[in-house]
Amino acid sequence: MVRGFLLAGLVVATLLTGCASQPWPSTVREPAPAAHQLAVPFHPQTRYQCGPAALAMMLNDQGIGATPDALVERVYLPGRQGSLQLDMVATARQEGLLVHPLAPDFQALLSEIDAGHPVLVLQNLGLRWWPQWHYAVVTGYDVEADVLILHSGVNANYRLPRPAFLATWDRAKRWARVMLTPDQVPATTTPLAFLASAHDLEATGQLEAAREAYRTALYHWPDQAAARLGLGNVAYQQQDWDLARQHYARLTRAFPELGAGWHNLAETLEQQQCPQAASQARACAYRHDPNRFPQLPAGHQPGQDRNGCPPPPSCLPKAQ
Amino acid sequence: MIIATRTIRQLAPLLCLALLASMLTVPAQAAIVGTGELIQQQHQTQSRASLSQALSQDDVRQSLKALGVSEDQVQQRIDRLTPAELASFNQQLNEAPAGEGVVGVIVLFVLVFIITDMLCATDLFPFVNCIR
Repeated sequence: MVRGFLLAGLVVATLLTGCASQPWPSTVREPAPAAHQLAVPFHPQTRYQCGPAALAMMLNDQGIGATPDALVERVYLPGRQGSLQLDMVATARQEGLLVHPLAPDFQALLSEIDAGHPVLVLQNLGLRWWPQWHYAVVTGYDVEADVLILHSGVNANYRLPRPAFLATWDRAKRWARVMLTPDQVPATTTPLAFLASAHDLEATGQLEAAREAYRTALYHWPDQAAARLGLGNVAYQQQDWDLARQHYARLTRAFPELGAGWHNLAETLEQQQCPQAASQARACAYRHDPNRFPQLPAGHQPGQDRNGCPPPPSCLPKAQ
Repeated sequence: MIIATRTIRQLAPLLCLALLASMLTVPAQAAIVGTGELIQQQHQTQSRASLSQALSQDDVRQSLKALGVSEDQVQQRIDRLTPAELASFNQQLNEAPAGEGVVGVIVLFVLVFIITDMLCATDLFPFVNCIR
């Protein structure tokens, strides 16, 4: 009986180890074998609850005082005896953090560690047909010892050989997330990926965090219209019409060909009872993007602007 | 109830199309242009996930209740999801794993997994060092 299982195990293991294991990327191998370890607060997991424990560590690292116990009811699904990735992400966002998906790439993970960002990973510690899903926080690596270092289960800074880490991470489709306060930029992000994460904050009502994230984006990538539009839209949702108008006006100056800027400027001017200026802005929106925005009806007569309205904007000629 | 859900499912593509069509014809004055629209334009992918939000909220609510999430937590959990996440929730629930940690390893499997652990293929027993 036992011999049979041993044999089966050997067969399975031989099949599994048939896959090539990925070596260390040259960037961390040269010039000298590198090692890097972050100091991340640790919480040991209790039965089934690696999700809340791993999330608590990610939040603590960003200065948010959360405990696994307090997170259980927010991320744990009793019926599944586990936590969905979606709930892990949503809970971090609810704490005002920007959640960045990493490319399914070993190099990306190491780059984030190098930048000082712990990485939340999903692993399948078992086999494809008998999965044992597990969340852990990657806190470092050591090229010479050939290990990844993780806060995992009940072990702080658990040293897991690289091939085993890659095998278990591969089996979870290399799912990895970095969670940062909105004033920080991950090492491996792109402007649009960052903005999409920022917009997730806006879409879930985290307006202050979203504003901070858009400001960060604008600072790092001044050529991103979506960052300025986002700042305007956050102000608009907070009914801060003056601030919204300023952002949209700057957007139309920096990106005059963007119809959305003119259109949102018009909406804001109407909120401020400035129909003359608003209809001029609408005309500009139509002029620059006639497919998206309607033409003003012929003979359109806007009412009078109240006192203190800005002068009607002038559309700059369409850039060719 | 089952019939109603099935009807909604069958109608969902039609409703999505109808919603999309109405979005195209509704006067643009209706609201400001969302940040997401611009980001998506730049991604050049038209995600229609947000359109099915109204259709999937009830599904998600049912799923969460069935999985033992308390009544007052259900709405909170739904509110914090983006439309795209909400639309993909049930799909994720069916396909995606839930991290659970290492528990309940059947004794008969133990030997097998000690060996796979030793070969660096799995990592079920932290005390087993794999041989490279």
